[in-house]
Amino acid sequence: MNFFLLSLAIIVVGGAIPLLTFRQFVLTKCIYISVTAVGCICGLYAILSAASSPESLAWSWAWQHVFTLSFSFDSLSLFFLLPIFLICPLAAIYSFFYFERAENSLKTAVSYFFTNILIVSMALVTAASNMLAFALVWELMSISSYFLVMYDYQKEETRTAGYLYFLFAQGGALLILAAFGVIFSHNGSFDFSRVVGIPDSTKLLVFFLAFLGFGSKAGIFPLHIWLPHAHPAAPSHISAIMSGVMIKMGIYGILRMYFMLGATDIRIGQAVLILGMISGLLGVLYALGKRNIKRMLAYSSVENIGIILMGAGFGMIGVAKGNSLMAGFGFAGCLLHVLNHSIFKSLLFLGAGAVIRKTGISRNDLLGGLMKRMPITGKTFLAGSLSISGLPPFSGFVSEFLIYFAAFQGLKYNHINLLLSIIAIISLAAIGGLATFCFTKVVGIVFLGEPRSEKISLATDGGWTLTVPISLLAIACLGIGVFPAPFIELAFSGLADVSFVSQVDPQLVQTIVTNLGFASRLFLVIIFAVVLLRKSLYWRKEITAGPTWGCGFTRPTTRIQYTGASFSRSVIDFFRPFALSRESEVHLKKIFPERTRYASWVEDLAEIGMRQGLAQPLLSFLGKFRWIQHGNVQLYIGYIIVAILILLLILFI
Amino acid sequence: MESLLSIGIALVAAPLFPGIILKVKALFAGKKGPPLLIKYYTLMKLCKKGSVYSTTTSFVFKMGPVVSLAGGIMILLFFPLGAIAPVLSFHGDVLVLFYVLATGRFFTIAAALDTGSPFQGMGAAREAFFGTLAEASIFAILILFYRMTHSLSFGEYFTGANPISLTGPAGALLLLVIVALFIVLLTENSRVPVDDPATHLELTMIHEVMVLDHSGPDLALIELGSFYKLFFYSAFLAMIVCPLNPSGGLLNLPVFYTIVVLVYMTIGLVESVMARFKMNLVPKFVLTSSILVVFAAILTMGFIK
Repeated sequence: MNFFLLSLAIIVVGGAIPLLTFRQFVLTKCIYISVTAVGCICGLYAILSAASSPESLAWSWAWQHVFTLSFSFDSLSLFFLLPIFLICPLAAIYSFFYFERAENSLKTAVSYFFTNILIVSMALVTAASNMLAFALVWELMSISSYFLVMYDYQKEETRTAGYLYFLFAQGGALLILAAFGVIFSHNGSFDFSRVVGIPDSTKLLVFFLAFLGFGSKAGIFPLHIWLPHAHPAAPSHISAIMSGVMIKMGIYGILRMYFMLGATDIRIGQAVLILGMISGLLGVLYALGKRNIKRMLAYSSVENIGIILMGAGFGMIGVAKGNSLMAGFGFAGCLLHVLNHSIFKSLLFLGAGAVIRKTGISRNDLLGGLMKRMPITGKTFLAGSLSISGLPPFSGFVSEFLIYFAAFQGLKYNHINLLLSIIAIISLAAIGGLATFCFTKVVGIVFLGEPRSEKISLATDGGWTLTVPISLLAIACLGIGVFPAPFIELAFSGLADVSFVSQVDPQLVQTIVTNLGFASRLFLVIIFAVVLLRKSLYWRKEITAGPTWGCGFTRPTTRIQYTGASFSRSVIDFFRPFALSRESEVHLKKIFPERTRYASWVEDLAEIGMRQGLAQPLLSFLGKFRWIQHGNVQLYIGYIIVAILILLLILFI
Repeated sequence: MESLLSIGIALVAAPLFPGIILKVKALFAGKKGPPLLIKYYTLMKLCKKGSVYSTTTSFVFKMGPVVSLAGGIMILLFFPLGAIAPVLSFHGDVLVLFYVLATGRFFTIAAALDTGSPFQGMGAAREAFFGTLAEASIFAILILFYRMTHSLSFGEYFTGANPISLTGPAGALLLLVIVALFIVLLTENSRVPVDDPATHLELTMIHEVMVLDHSGPDLALIELGSFYKLFFYSAFLAMIVCPLNPSGGLLNLPVFYTIVVLVYMTIGLVESVMARFKMNLVPKFVLTSSILVVFAAILTMGFIK
């Protein structure tokens, strides 16, 4: 019995039931969550039981009597299935907390339906083993997630965000299809396993076409601009699934295409590495400049996609150079960061969603002091922040360590590869530093200090449907950091079916893994010892409470606290012209000035570039053809007949 | 055994050295200066006191001192003081250790923001910014050392088969590293000309303003943590300036500590003759260090084939 198909069937049914029972709001939510969770657990069981022989799960299906849709698995696809079946049920549980209004029950049911279609299509993307199947489920994934983004369709900005996402999803799909088309023109086969046979000169073209296509899904700079619009618009658990899991399908596509092509051209690795660095640095920089908490998390996804790509880039350079150590650690770091990012990013999105749901505020600079009011959300958010900043003893550090390890291998070469490795290591360090900057800012401004608005004082943690998912995710963050051994092995086993990587000396991996885990635990032990020391120093001491020392200022208000904008201003200015900070001028006219307003914002280079360099010229050019569209239906039919005639003429002459 | 003894001496002696800086500065200004043991007296005084906590703060505020001190202790455990094999060492430990220091910084910044004071926020922003730049320099140094020794651990840098040495084939490049590391030392430990630990105006402070609200034993832990951090950077610099033979054992320690004292005296001298930079000059100052080291790393293409 194919448990994988069974789990997909359960998930589809779980998504369809709410459409019938939406009038019973709470019941619908309960049924949905339990059926989806059962489906995902079944899927996890399928992965685990198939881990030793992934081929056993393969199946194919003749479609329209002409095409065959075939699905099969290898270690890479099993690895990418993990985050899907781990994160999605937690997001489903969280949705109980998030969808609280019964009057929206139909909308909720539709959202549930598309969520499960998304889960199923993502699972099938990892399994697809010919181009038709892949293109079909990829489209299904894009469209179902589009409907999820459009949940709040009444709002203007949601519709804009949805439109932008749709454009990028379809544009990316177009490029992927183009890559498939080039392959098909060479070997006339839809099968993935025959792709390797195409000529080497074409491989480069195919890879970069597909890379751009998958990159627009993954959110690689400068194709990321849909992310910061779509995430704030979508419900928080949808953002968690999209950012934590769905954009990783882009990474899966890039890796799959790379392994499928078997291209060992070093330029591929170098290009991926450079784009990874750019995404990483600019992603974290823009994240620093953003005020909206979910928009900032979206940019931080761009940053993490950059780190993941850097790992992949080092892996590819290692393959090209025949350096199995560099290849193995690069790809393993890449895969582990995929898993880690799916965990901590969904944790952060769920936490941010809880803050927005409870306070109704999504701007950092209006929040504050939530650590005391929402302790569980606050603590888990802190764990996620430490993890995403890549700090030991949390999970993000482990994958960054593997990537560093691969990067240092790159220093053995000369010239361009040496230079790239130097720049990449320094970028990785700078990304880490800036991520620390960014997340101390979020934690500090949103959760610490005093509340900046009155609405916050009533905020509390939600029920268990909120606290259980985020606590589990936070425990996972710490767990992977403190006991990294099984997870690093998992990442390496994800590469098992990729021939060159098995050459990495398992003894060496074992040593490094053991040492890394030991160092994390040692750090925890030292912290614990210092806590004990601190306790003993405070034994029987007088402890008093007072206001914060205001440096002599006696009438402080909560509004004099440092804001996120001022916190990050110096860095943003330092990185001119890559991040342009703009501000509105403050004019003080008249003797008794009126109320003044001030605003500052950071502009995204890619967004400006796309708007001014692509969208506006295209619009003004196409505007010149507007006379064609006049509303006269008879003439439209005339166009069609003329077009068909011309096509026929071309074909038959 | 030697390793444990060596780390024990370091942990006990670290608070002594900042006293040397104060003494040098005082002598330079023609004053008598505080006693050499001043920092021990300060620590003892602080440990006897209780604390006042702001009502704004949460548990993060109390984590700040703890994590930064733990980071300071952890990095010393892995460092071969005086070329005596460190207590612990493995391939890749430098990466872990500098990230452990960064964890300490995360909590120090979070603790500063926890007080809700605008001054502390300002100091936190500066610390985060300059810390990021210094981190880039540190990794540039690691890159260079990897090119020279093919290792990623303090133990192997100084006690391994292929130790770093000024007289080695690429020794000249280390001169650039020494300058760069000294700049990083000044930045990471909030010394003049990046920050002035003795200033009196909160607006101009970086590190001092971040710990304004800490008092009693908490402040003592912070101070101790910063002593360890400064000691680590000085020891790192000392080991590059004067590499010792690992077979020397405990006899290396007098030479090593002499060099360390010299490093501290240099800090004191720099503080005596320089004024602090304007805030907007500091990033350029810190960047100088990473540019120097990256330059050195590129030069290795000529030295190392």
